[in-house]
Amino acid sequence: MKWITARRRHPLAGYVVVILALALFGVGFAALAPTSDEARAQTLSAEVPDPEDVDVANGKAIFDQTCASCHNYDGSGMYAEDDEGDLVVTNGPDLREVGSAALDFQVSTGRMPSMDPDSQMPRKPMAISEQDLVDLIAYYDEEIRTDGRGADIPFDVPGDAPQAADFEDEASYEAALEEYEGEYDAYIEGADDVDMGMKLYLTNCAHCHSWSGGGGALTDGRWAPEIHDSTPREIYEAMVSGPGAMPMFSDGVITPEEKQELISYVKTLQAEPNAGGIFDLERVGQVAEGFIGWTVGLSLIIACAIWITAKQRAHD
Amino acid sequence: MTENNNNDHNEAGADADERVVGTPTDNTDVVSESSAHSESEHNGPYLASETHKHSEEKQRRGEKLASVWFIIAFIGGIGFLVSYFLFPPNAAGEPAIADPQIGQYSNMLLGGTLTLAMFGIGAGMTVWARNVMPHYEVGSPYDDLPSKEEEKSSFSEFFMKSADESGFTKRPLMRRTLILAMLPLGLAPVVLLRDTGPLPGDLMKKTRWTDGMRMYVEGTHRYLRAEDLEADPYGMISALPALDDEGYPHGISLTDQAKSVILLIKMPEDDWKAGMDEPVREDSDETHLNWTHQGIVAYSKICTHVGCPAALYERTTHRILCPCHQSTFDAADAAKVVFGPAHRPLPQLPIGVDDEGYLVARGDFNEPTGPTFWEYAKD
Amino acid sequence: MSKTTQAPKALRGVGNFIDDRFHLAKTGEKNLRKVFPNHWSFMLGEIALYSFIILLLSGVFLTLWFKPSMMEIVYDGSYERLQGVPMSEAFASTLHIDFDVRGGFLMRQIHHWAALIFVASLVVHMLRVFFTGAFRKPREINWLIGVAIFTLAMVEGLFGYSLPDDLPSGMGVRILQGVMLALPLVGSYVSMFLFGGEFPGEDIITRLYMLHVLLIPAILLGLIVAHFMILWHQKHTQYPGQGRTDKKVVGTPMFPAFAVKAGGFFFFTFAVIAGLSAFVQINPIHLFGPFTPTSITSGLQPDWYMGFMEGSLRIFPNTLDFTIPIGAGYPVMTAVLVPGLVVPGLIFGALGAWPFIEQWITGDKRAHNVADRPRNAPVRTGLGVAGIVFYGVLWLAGSNDILSETFSIDLYLTTYIFRVLAIAGPVVGYVVTKRICLGLQRRDRETLEHGYESGVIQQLPSGEFIEVHKENSAETTHVLESKPVITSTALEEPETDDKGVENPAARKGMGRLRRALAHWYTKDNVSFDGVEAHSGHHLHHGAEHQDH
Repeated sequence: MKWITARRRHPLAGYVVVILALALFGVGFAALAPTSDEARAQTLSAEVPDPEDVDVANGKAIFDQTCASCHNYDGSGMYAEDDEGDLVVTNGPDLREVGSAALDFQVSTGRMPSMDPDSQMPRKPMAISEQDLVDLIAYYDEEIRTDGRGADIPFDVPGDAPQAADFEDEASYEAALEEYEGEYDAYIEGADDVDMGMKLYLTNCAHCHSWSGGGGALTDGRWAPEIHDSTPREIYEAMVSGPGAMPMFSDGVITPEEKQELISYVKTLQAEPNAGGIFDLERVGQVAEGFIGWTVGLSLIIACAIWITAKQRAHD
Repeated sequence: MTENNNNDHNEAGADADERVVGTPTDNTDVVSESSAHSESEHNGPYLASETHKHSEEKQRRGEKLASVWFIIAFIGGIGFLVSYFLFPPNAAGEPAIADPQIGQYSNMLLGGTLTLAMFGIGAGMTVWARNVMPHYEVGSPYDDLPSKEEEKSSFSEFFMKSADESGFTKRPLMRRTLILAMLPLGLAPVVLLRDTGPLPGDLMKKTRWTDGMRMYVEGTHRYLRAEDLEADPYGMISALPALDDEGYPHGISLTDQAKSVILLIKMPEDDWKAGMDEPVREDSDETHLNWTHQGIVAYSKICTHVGCPAALYERTTHRILCPCHQSTFDAADAAKVVFGPAHRPLPQLPIGVDDEGYLVARGDFNEPTGPTFWEYAKD
Repeated sequence: MSKTTQAPKALRGVGNFIDDRFHLAKTGEKNLRKVFPNHWSFMLGEIALYSFIILLLSGVFLTLWFKPSMMEIVYDGSYERLQGVPMSEAFASTLHIDFDVRGGFLMRQIHHWAALIFVASLVVHMLRVFFTGAFRKPREINWLIGVAIFTLAMVEGLFGYSLPDDLPSGMGVRILQGVMLALPLVGSYVSMFLFGGEFPGEDIITRLYMLHVLLIPAILLGLIVAHFMILWHQKHTQYPGQGRTDKKVVGTPMFPAFAVKAGGFFFFTFAVIAGLSAFVQINPIHLFGPFTPTSITSGLQPDWYMGFMEGSLRIFPNTLDFTIPIGAGYPVMTAVLVPGLVVPGLIFGALGAWPFIEQWITGDKRAHNVADRPRNAPVRTGLGVAGIVFYGVLWLAGSNDILSETFSIDLYLTTYIFRVLAIAGPVVGYVVTKRICLGLQRRDRETLEHGYESGVIQQLPSGEFIEVHKENSAETTHVLESKPVITSTALEEPETDDKGVENPAARKGMGRLRRALAHWYTKDNVSFDGVEAHSGHHLHHGAEHQDH
């Protein structure tokens, strides 16, 4: 401390502080900016569940406890008439025709159960266990869903990676993980028409989710979420079910093979290392570049100018 | 401001007094070991009072420090050359720097060493100027800028006399014909540029859509059927006319894409608003609703503001928003502008299905697509 | 005595060779003795010069491989992810620079970062000149050249941004074309001629390339050379200080010191740009993908220097649009024309005109070589800040979608906020800045009269505590005393002559306006009349502070 106290009135002290602050800013930014590798944490694969493993009664219990308060016990939702006599959702919308893909998407991304039906839910860790979700979906399919309407869960698209906690020993986890990664790579690499995937993504998705999958602003305070953490299955489910303000892209509009191209395009893009350097500015683009150009680039150059022209000795 | 610029006395005071004397410097021979000379004379290029020399010890330290920087720069420079050859060019089938990860290493090594080299030289030179060279506070007059009166009058007299003598002022016929001669030449560049492009004519008012033309899902070569959208009560997809022009990888030029791309939107039919019952053009019997098919409507995807693809469709509000400048159109209300800077609604394309159930256009858009221009409404 | 070093023989030989042909000894010495005042803010313009040089160097490198062609080809180069994708030759050749040319990626990033920093340094340099009044006579012409450089630099940057034909760059061209189309009467003609047909056609990249690498850089280079020659001829302004007057400049001589400092600064500038280019990815066109007119991404922005145009395009409402009701109707799209033409016209027009406006208001025809301290010209400083606020609000508005997403604000609300701020912000900025300037002037007077606060607290025998004021250094006193008096010749002319006849010049419209402006420009100012340095009584015995 004494060393600092003795020097803090030095004519260069101010500049040193500025440079330190800038360096700190740079380091801090580097620490905070996630690399694309970290951002790609994948989570759990689920096969078509064996009917023997499914406990529909448990599913019903979960539905009645966590869903029914908003969506009603029969899944018909809660509506009221507004001033003009139109029905509007008061708590939760009708679930009977949305399909199990929608259910799987909403629950596995932690958006449901929601604490506040009026606002958009961010992505969160799933609130119930993997087995509970399987039971819940089985109950939904059997008791609530009308005539099998809506889209089914695309089980052949890789979903969450296995979690170590779900396995009894390391070896079986490793094996499951390896199998999952094999499936994942097979799905991503199974796509071979980059142009198609790119076109489909850039003409139908990027205007909300951005070229990098970083998300973007919508109206009325809503936003299109970033999709770095989304598994291929979640992206698929979002496309067929249209969560929130998102329109739907059924298998008729974009076929499963085309969806694979699209998902492969965006996942490959997100996983690609940044050829231009370790700082990708979160792939925000020009706004971030301009910001760094001013705050780091120009400031550092001016700091050099200050060094060159600094007073050579204090005399006051 | 003051705090930073009063350099006058930087080296004044006791120190400078001792060394008014100073050692002779010379401007051609930087390293001179002549400090032992007469203590009472100043031999630098500038006045002694304007030259504040550093002590020999400080200069020696400066020299060492500058040399360290220069050596760092040298190492950086060598590193740059090494980094260049460290990464082989892409051999056949073997992407070296074309692999983004290796490309990143190459970029950071090349750039990092270059930075080091440049910074080393910069820092070394700065240390040299600050610690080895004297600190100069040299005064020099600002020149009086206006010329003296007699110079000015002499010039103007000379100029007018010469101009008169040349006859330019006195002989109007010659002067005017010269100016006349220049006129057509001045127009020549404008005329020469005429062939840079065609006249607009009707070019921007027509697209390639015709009655019965099917549509591709953009990015594929698959015709879209009405029933493909059956599972989407709230669907959206970007589509192009099913053209297969030769010479274009996608079968359609970018120019045609820019004009004819559409956004197909499907919504429950009771979501339509009053605007859909209005005629598509003032003089037309057709309404916007007539131009839809089973809840499917086709709007031009190109914003009428300045031409970005207005594609951000929210199915809950039926807003189509342009991500560039946030012009917002209501898809349920004939794409009328509900927010932002756009001047007019998105043009609509009449659609239907053909015998085989494929979605087809039933003609061209009701208005020219793309940014609004002066004569867009003129037939 | 003896030690007048002889130049080495080789040097003398060269020197004589040149002098025999050009008679340069005298001019040469005069120029090497040229003096440059020493202050960091005087080096901002140099950043622009050096980044321009870096742009030229890296740009030449890029042209060795870049193909300005819009011919659509199917990519089969080394970058695996995009193999098989149709794209223009321009985009494919940019990928080639990135992934097949060693150091190509670095040079492209250097070119782009240098461009951002070039324009940024132009802005800060211009602000420095504005706030210190360094544009005043005799430097008005150089100021105009500077404004022209700034304008051209933006256009040059926009065109360069468009060349790689990637997704965002193509959209920039599209917006440019959309603004062109909005021009009344001639819009579609201008657009057809520039693009060789409809958008995007097949010519635009080739044409922008010519403008970007030849025409505009040539003009820029010419203007920059002129800028420097004028600076060289007139010599640099300086801040007030002892020994520094409008007649005498004090500073570092070109040779040897300034040349080395400036040379070192070039390397610093290059180092920072190279450092950014090494580690911070910029404009990753290989990730964006090639341009198609049907694709778009959220968060689409131009480079920062076009941000204010983008922002004004976003926030200007369409409510002022009207249609001329002849025939089918001809639209006048104020929502495009005002942001696209009027706003930049206003900003650059105001910049260019200000030196002449100020001179007209004050009637000051003297040559100024000592720069103003910004606080001593409160109206000018206030106006400058108002301009910064206006530009800054538009600039921020250009990223309203990013702001909306990052800070979770309703998108439309940001638009409304920026609409209000664009009008109210400059007014508040002006008023607050002027107040601050006047406050600083008051503090200056206080310091001049009483010395500075030493931080030493004394207890008087009465028990009272006072802070001891110490005398300012001679330098500080000089600077404070040199505060210029702001006057205008318009106010010195009497309204009526001695016979009671109204002064005709002051009665006419322009004369009245000038008087009013002169009054506004000069009225708020802290007078230093009659203030003598260190005359304040509490300097020595530290009595209670007296109000003035």
